[in-house]
Parts: sequence; structure tokens; C-alpha cells
Amino acid sequence: MRCDLHEQTKGKRYMKRILLFIALSGLLWGVSNAEEKVTVKGSDTMVILSQRWAEKYMAVHADVTIQVTGGGSGTGLSALINGTTDIANSSRPMKNSERDKLKERFGTRGIEIKCALDGLAIYVNKKSPVKELTLAQVKDIYTGKIRNWNEVGGPDKKIILYSRENNSGTYVYFLENVLLGEDFAATTQFLPGTASVVNAVSKDEAGVGYGGSAYGEGIVELGVKKDENSPAYTPKLENIATGNYPISRYLYMYVRNRPEGAMKNFIDWTLSDEGQAIVTEVGYFPIR
Amino acid sequence: MRVFFLSGLVCLAVQFVAGQDKDMEKELEEMKGVIEGVQESFGEYRGYVNDLRKIKISGYVQAQFRNADLEGTAASYSGGNLPANVNKAFELRRGRIKIQYDDVLTRFVFQLDGRQSGVTVKDAYAAITEPWLRSIGFQIGIFDRPFGYEVTYSSSSRESPERSRVVQTLMPGERELGAKLFYAPQYGGMSFLRIDAGVFNGAGPLSPEFDNFKDFIGRVGIQLPFEEAAAELDLGVSGYLGQVRNATKYVWSMGSPTEGFVVDSLAENLDSGVDRNYFGVDAQFYYDLPILGGMALRGEVITGTQPGGSTIATPPDAFGIRPTTISPLAQPTGPVYRRDFLGWYVNLVQNLGSNHQLVAKYDVYDPNTAVSSMDFSGSNNLSPADVKFTTLGLGYIFHWNEYVKFVFYYEWISNEEVNSAASSNPDLAPFVSDFKDNIFTFRTQLKF
Repeated sequence: MRCDLHEQTKGKRYMKRILLFIALSGLLWGVSNAEEKVTVKGSDTMVILSQRWAEKYMAVHADVTIQVTGGGSGTGLSALINGTTDIANSSRPMKNSERDKLKERFGTRGIEIKCALDGLAIYVNKKSPVKELTLAQVKDIYTGKIRNWNEVGGPDKKIILYSRENNSGTYVYFLENVLLGEDFAATTQFLPGTASVVNAVSKDEAGVGYGGSAYGEGIVELGVKKDENSPAYTPKLENIATGNYPISRYLYMYVRNRPEGAMKNFIDWTLSDEGQAIVTEVGYFPIR
Repeated sequence: MRVFFLSGLVCLAVQFVAGQDKDMEKELEEMKGVIEGVQESFGEYRGYVNDLRKIKISGYVQAQFRNADLEGTAASYSGGNLPANVNKAFELRRGRIKIQYDDVLTRFVFQLDGRQSGVTVKDAYAAITEPWLRSIGFQIGIFDRPFGYEVTYSSSSRESPERSRVVQTLMPGERELGAKLFYAPQYGGMSFLRIDAGVFNGAGPLSPEFDNFKDFIGRVGIQLPFEEAAAELDLGVSGYLGQVRNATKYVWSMGSPTEGFVVDSLAENLDSGVDRNYFGVDAQFYYDLPILGGMALRGEVITGTQPGGSTIATPPDAFGIRPTTISPLAQPTGPVYRRDFLGWYVNLVQNLGSNHQLVAKYDVYDPNTAVSSMDFSGSNNLSPADVKFTTLGLGYIFHWNEYVKFVFYYEWISNEEVNSAASSNPDLAPFVSDFKDNIFTFRTQLKF
């Protein structure tokens, strides 16, 4: 009898352990099948595009959460290096110094994905009579050699310069490709986002700014000429696709390792016809 | 009468609404004034904030526990010797704080290292980049010698707790006082190339210069990416061409291996320069292994001629022929011993996901390639400074988050077992068999 009782107690103990095992297995299964999350951080130029991609993608993939934040290309790439984001959006190529940090920490050079084309627009206030500039004039304006609108066919007004801050890929691209490495004029006002630049120019009749063409609402985008003898082109699809618009660039996504799972599916989708159609909707230009 | 009454009501209503509109306009004007005021203040402070953003403060603390084979273990290449009667201890290995000012074309860096033994300056330099291509720059102050890969690889990023023995011996403290030019384009067709070349005191980072010989140090590095394969091969070639002043008329060089060092005592040796020449090749291969994560395989070979002391192979800022007191008047006093050396290491780091790393490192340092283990005898003048060492290190690193990591690392350190006849020399006696100097390190690093 005592033996039976002992066996029964032992059996109950085993049963408890089996139930506990099943419960833990269920918990693990549940965790492993939980919602997958992909974080995207970086370029402010790409925030609207990324958010639109995320919304559309999540609408048909309820099990995936795509979390998008801005902050600038430099901020996104730093987050990629620190391991705090899965995807870094960047409106400029990764610098060597950034790639070196990625190699040090993760033993990988990172994967670069070109996901859209952008024409960098030069904005003026909609009341400005100036409709076009040469690349050299844009450079001279931003380096302080041209200071009055009347030097480029405008009214007798001092030019007010607006720019992105130096953590922005747009800033770096403009500095490298338009100013050819020369310093911005000391009077330039550096603003925290392209939307701020657009807002400032839209309120300032003497203002000039630059940024992604997706932000071009409410202000006028100037035609830009490669040189004096070239025709002026605005940042429209046909002009960028043909290479006629002189200030265009790729927009990139960077990941640390070969993408897998939810992240791979999302990236593949952004490059699909559906994803690239959103690129056009937002005002950028598809890569295929 | 009714019409008159209704007209009166409408007039009252219109007046009421007009009054309200005026109030609203007034409020709006006030609000506009407030917003403009805030905008002005914001504009003013944004300037200050932008200036402050150029200043970055960073740092890290490395606290560790070490457990060695024997009490008082000579572990100077594994993070410092342990005191007598101690083979396990908690220690503060590094406590760094770095202040960096970065403008578009200029950089100032000042870094201090605080330890139990005191505070020292690690970096203090200014770098200026030309404004046209933004690729060529000039740097002056105390900074890493531009030689090889491991010298310039940050201690906070390095996976093994310490640098390899050859690097620690040849370039103690990693830094040096001097000036260099660099070519480092960040973008474009030439961005695969980096060149650093400069002239340095050669006396080490902490001591004042003690001779007029200046040392050239330079490295040319290239990056070869294989984008389709998610891989990259980086290669570098380095050179160190320098001399140290001989404070005596004696220069010791290797004779026959059994003979050991023989002296040259010509009077003109006094004040002459003794060569300090190194040549190095380094390579780093990075590959993103599917499923596992990034893999880094790094290696470096350094060979050359080293001027040292009779019983120590480090260069003349820390060796025994120089007084230990560091003052502007301090001068080396002993004769110089010349040794041809060879050192190399291979280091494999495999990431497992984002938070785990496995590390294996094998390093070899032969400070005197002219002798083998059987050449040591009690009768010649070879010393522990001529003994070859190999170190195998295996480790695991857990990155808790972007700031904190834990390192578990074990080193099997082996010396060449010298001829038993050398046991008559008390300095060499411990190396007749493998000296018990294996060591385990557990390190926690907090970086901000």
C-alpha cells in the first residue's frame, strides 16, 4: 500500500514535470511564432518613402512590424554599426570610416541596396522670379561668392541660405557634388530636416534651399543647367532617368548581413514592381 | 414692430461676432508674437547647440578578473604582471575618457587613461584636412604609430584582451610623438587606398626625446571588396626606419649562435645611430557567413632589427639601459644589443548573430631569430630577451547591448624550452621547461 502511494506520488510528480515541459514548449513556440519586427532608421529624405513602404507592406503582412524613424543618414548608419537598427536608410554611400567600424564590430562590410533615385531639388520661394540656375551659380551662391539675387537675374535682395545639418546625407551629397568640397558660406542657416528647409524657404522670399524632390510642395523647384550653354532641367523622372538633371543620386538601404526572414521579404518587396510603384507615388524615381 | 425687434437682434449678434473676431485677431497677434519670440530664441540657441555638437565625449572602462597559473606570474603581455603571492585579482585595466572636437576640416583629440597606477595621456593631437579634395591631411601630437593593423586597432573594439606579443614589444603604448601626412579619401575611385606616413621621436609616448634621430613610420593600405560575395580583403604594407643613439661605445650583435652576442667597441660607436628597422605586412579578410554572421580573419607578420638591452627586447624608452626616472635630463646609459626578430599572429573572430563572438588567436614572437633553443647555455650571454614565445588564445564575447560586453578569454602561453645547460643562468632557468604562465581573463567593458 505504501508502495502504491509512493508510486502514485511519483507519477503525479512526473505528470507535473511533463505539464511544465509542455507549457514551456508552448511558450517557446509562441515566442518563436510571435510578430516579427524590422527596425529602419536613418535618412530624413527617405522617411516618407520608408513609412509608405512600411504601411503598405504591413497592410498585407499582419505578422510583421516595420518600425521607421529618421534622424539623418549618419544617425542611421551609426545605429547599424551599434546594432540598434536592422536597416539603415542613407541618401549617400557609406563612408570608409563607417565601413571600417562595421567590419570591426560585426566582421562584415555590410550589404548595400540601391532602392530609389532622387533628384536633389533647389528650392526658392514661389514669388521668386528666378526660375533656373547653372550648377556653378548654385555653388557660388552657397559658398558665398554670389550674395544678391540680382546677380542671377532676380530682385535686389540679399540671398538667404538654408541647408540641412551635417549629420544628413543630403548635406554630404550637396557638399561633395555641388560645392565640390568647398565650405558653406558662414551665413548659411542649418536646419534639422528637409521639411524645415522647405518651410523656411516658403516663408522667405529671398530664401534658397535644397533637398529631396519629394518635399517640393509649396515652393518652386528651379531648373538646373550643367553649364551656361546647357538647357535647364527640373528634377522630374524623365530628366533624372536620362541623366539630364545634373543633381541626382541613389537612395540606399544598408544592412549588416545578408538579409533573411522578414527583413529579406520586406527588402525584396521594396524592390518589386509594387514597392517601386510607391517610389514613384512619393515623388522619387524607381531604379528599375 | 417684429421686424424692428428682429433687426435689433441681428445687429446685436453681428456686433457680438465682430467683437469675438477682434478678440481672436488680438489673440492671434499675441500668439504670433510669442511664436516669433520663440523662433528667435530657438535660432540663437540652435547656433550654440550646433557648436556643441562638434564636441564629443566618449570613453570606456575595462574592469577585469585574472587567474594565472602561478602566484606572481610574469604576465606583462597579458595585461601586466601579477604581484608576488597573487595569482588571482580584480583589476582596472583601462579607464579611458576622450574629448574630440570635429569640425568639417579639423579635428582635435584628447584622451586620458586612468588606472590604479595613475593617469596618463594617451592621445593629444590636431588633424587638419585640405578643403579641396578633403582627402589629404596633416596630423601632429601624440597618436598611434601608423604601422600595421593591430597597433591602431582600438582596445575597446579588439576581441583579445591584449595585443600580440610582437606588437607590444616593438611599439609599447602604441602611441608616439610626431607628425604625419595621410591620404584617406572617403568616396570615389581612390577610396580603396589609404596612406599614412610621418616622422616621430621614437622615444615612446610618455618620455621626452633623448636623441636627434627621428624615425620614419608609414603604411600603405588597400581595400579589395567583393560585393557579390559579401566579402572584403584589406591589405597593408608598413615600414619603420629609425635609429637610436648609442650612449656607449659598445654595440652588441649576434656572433655564431653558440657564441651569443659579441661586442663591437670602436670609439666612434659612441653617439652613433643604431638601426631600428621594421617591415610589416598585414591582411584582414571579412566574410559574411550565411546564417552565422560576419567572420573576420586577420593576420600580420613583422620582421626587422631591434635595438634593445641585454635582458630586454623592447625599444629604448622602457629598456634597462635607460634610467627609469623620466625627466628631460634622462638618458640611456647602457650599451645597445641588436637582434633580428620575427613575429606574427593570426586572429579569427566569428560572430554568432548580433550578440555573440567566438575568438581564436595564435601569436608567435621570436625576438632573436639567430638562435634556437639549443643555443642557450650558461656560458654565452643569451638571456630571456632572446627566448621565443607562442600564445594560443581562445575566447567568447557576449555583447549585452551596444554599451556593455563581457569577455572570457584563456591564453596558453608557451616558451621555447631552452637547453638544460642554461639552467646555470638563474634568469634562463625557468625556461628550461614551459614556464607556468597560462592565464584566464574575465573582462567587463562599459563604453559610452
